[in-house]
Amino acid sequence: MIQFSGVEKRYGGYLALRGIDGEVARSEVVVLCGPSGSGKSTLIRTVNRLEAIDKGTIKVEGVDVRDECQNRLRARIGFVFQQFNLFPHISALRNVTLAPVLLGKWPKREARERALHLLNRVGLGSLADRYPSQLSGGQQQRVAIARALAMEPPVMLFDEPTSALDPEMVGEVLAVMKGLARDGMTMVCVTHEMGFAREVADKVWFMAEGKVLERASPTEFFTAPSHPRTRNFLAAIRAA
Amino acid sequence: MTFAILEQADIWRLFATGLRLTAELFVFAAILGFGFGAALTALRQSNRWAAPLVIGFVEYHRNVPSLVQLLVWYFAVPQVLPAILRGWIEQNLDGFVFAIVALSLNAAAYISEDLRSGFRTLPKGQFEATEALGLSRFQALRLVLLPQAVRACFPALVSQTLSLFKATTLAMAIGVGELMYVARRIDGQTYATFAAFLVPTIMYLCCTLAIMFGGERMQRRLVATGADSR
Amino acid sequence: MIDILSRFGTSLLIGQFPHGPLGGIALTVVMSAVALLCAFPFAVGVAMARTSPIAAVRRLAAVYVYFVRGVPLLLLIFWAYFVVPLVTGVGTSATVTVICALVAYEGAYLGEAIRGALEALPRGQVEASRSLGLGYWSTSTYVVLPQVLVSCLPSMVNQFIILVKDTSLASLVGVHELTFSANQINAQLLTQPLEVYALLAAAYFVLCFALSRLSQFLESKIARIRSGSTGSAAVVAIAEAI
Repeated sequence: MIQFSGVEKRYGGYLALRGIDGEVARSEVVVLCGPSGSGKSTLIRTVNRLEAIDKGTIKVEGVDVRDECQNRLRARIGFVFQQFNLFPHISALRNVTLAPVLLGKWPKREARERALHLLNRVGLGSLADRYPSQLSGGQQQRVAIARALAMEPPVMLFDEPTSALDPEMVGEVLAVMKGLARDGMTMVCVTHEMGFAREVADKVWFMAEGKVLERASPTEFFTAPSHPRTRNFLAAIRAA
Repeated sequence: MTFAILEQADIWRLFATGLRLTAELFVFAAILGFGFGAALTALRQSNRWAAPLVIGFVEYHRNVPSLVQLLVWYFAVPQVLPAILRGWIEQNLDGFVFAIVALSLNAAAYISEDLRSGFRTLPKGQFEATEALGLSRFQALRLVLLPQAVRACFPALVSQTLSLFKATTLAMAIGVGELMYVARRIDGQTYATFAAFLVPTIMYLCCTLAIMFGGERMQRRLVATGADSR
Repeated sequence: MIDILSRFGTSLLIGQFPHGPLGGIALTVVMSAVALLCAFPFAVGVAMARTSPIAAVRRLAAVYVYFVRGVPLLLLIFWAYFVVPLVTGVGTSATVTVICALVAYEGAYLGEAIRGALEALPRGQVEASRSLGLGYWSTSTYVVLPQVLVSCLPSMVNQFIILVKDTSLASLVGVHELTFSANQINAQLLTQPLEVYALLAAAYFVLCFALSRLSQFLESKIARIRSGSTGSAAVVAIAEAI
């Protein structure tokens, strides 16, 4: 589904990604974790070209992301941000319908109904006409997930979707993500929620200093990490 | 479009006189404007009774066009003065002096507001620290507070300087022979409109761009040397 | 002062209208309003060009803005007298010419105000929109501008105040607006410059002071809407009205 080969990204003199290889299979859930500054966010932002890469290739469904029209590429990759980034001037429902209607994916007549269906799926059907500022952080993030789903993307990318939330709201967002995973969505999640990783992930990728140091199933990752950096990281997380 | 007039030395002499008057208007008004502006800020800060007067002064200058302020000084103000003084003014003063008065007072109003908002950005701890050190109020102002306040409102002060420079053109309305006045006169006499306005445009741009870019450079230097990381 | 008002009040207010051309305060306000309305789309264009992803467009817009900011408005008005007939091919009235100069001038100043608001918009808004597959124009039209233009509302009123004051320059090229009317009355009376010019200053003061209060009101209203959660509908209402 997504293939990275030799991906490098540089900010000025600083090498943020140093040769990433790897593959995410269809319906697979990959959790990217690692210390801050390890390049995890940068890596998923390169997939939909929010960041341009300097070397290597990234293929989504077999097509090099640089060969495809940027907007079409992004339309088939769902992206969820740490800060939600809902559009504050329109209702939750309009947040969901905006892109599919403008891009001709949904007929205008059916837009409301379809958006309500998606909002129901994230448990917010009754709040469809509220504005983002009238929603809690957890609710906003769920709307943001519904908004990304509206384009019916085969892949969803999550960039620390629960890091900006108050602790009591993390659960509701993770529940929605678990539901997606159960329905067979291909997902790449940058997250510090190790419980989520253990329960839902098919693979955990551990990144540090712009490289993927370890790739393992969650059981393996949490019980028998092979790389010393991974062991340090897990110890630090458990101590916290 | 003819540039033939630019081959005449007389024309260039006219432009040169105009530019000199513009520069004089600007320099005098800027010195007076900054001095008076700083005084207004101090007055407003220190004297409870003066504050409403300063506010009135500032509001008048902010809500009335500069051109009208100029006309008020030139036509209306001499009218209220006693006859003897009025006679002396008519004998001795021309538009140039009135223009400087009007332009500098206008600039002072804006500058005093900018300085005031500069002072307001200072954390209260700065005042208290100077008191704790035993500095006199004047020392505190000169050594600690003013440099910081100026730094905080420096971009605004640059833009006031720029406005003041451009406002010197208004003096032509009361017959001061500055650059704009000269350009119009040359245009009227030679009908070489393009050339008559091109030369002053370039002259104005050289000066204003120097103010803008010089201001930006000084701003960068202030930020680089500034102890405050704001 | 009362007798001046009773003799010249209507001419200060509306000029010779309806028997002749509009003048006085009415012309001042109409010129300012027309200039602002025409300058607005232009300023949005300048602001977008200043933040364009294309470097050449950005540079061109920067040159325009620096030129306009570097040239006295009066000079811009004289240039308009020369350039506007060349471009349009027809002779235009002094009023229209001055409006053209004001539009060029405001395009730069209002444009910079809008650019400031554009740059203050969190990057995530554009990223979110682009991530959905929306292009540059859709993102600008449906996501960026509706948010930015609401926050520009107070500075639009401020620019209107500046325009009202700047139209006084039109008196120097013979447009019969407020300042021109006062100059005429002064020339007619000869002996009462104090009264005439005090009246003139007062007229501008009342107009601009009221407008500046309006701008402060809008600013606090928008701040309240931003901070509170109750009034978002109002933001949308304003956004859609624009």
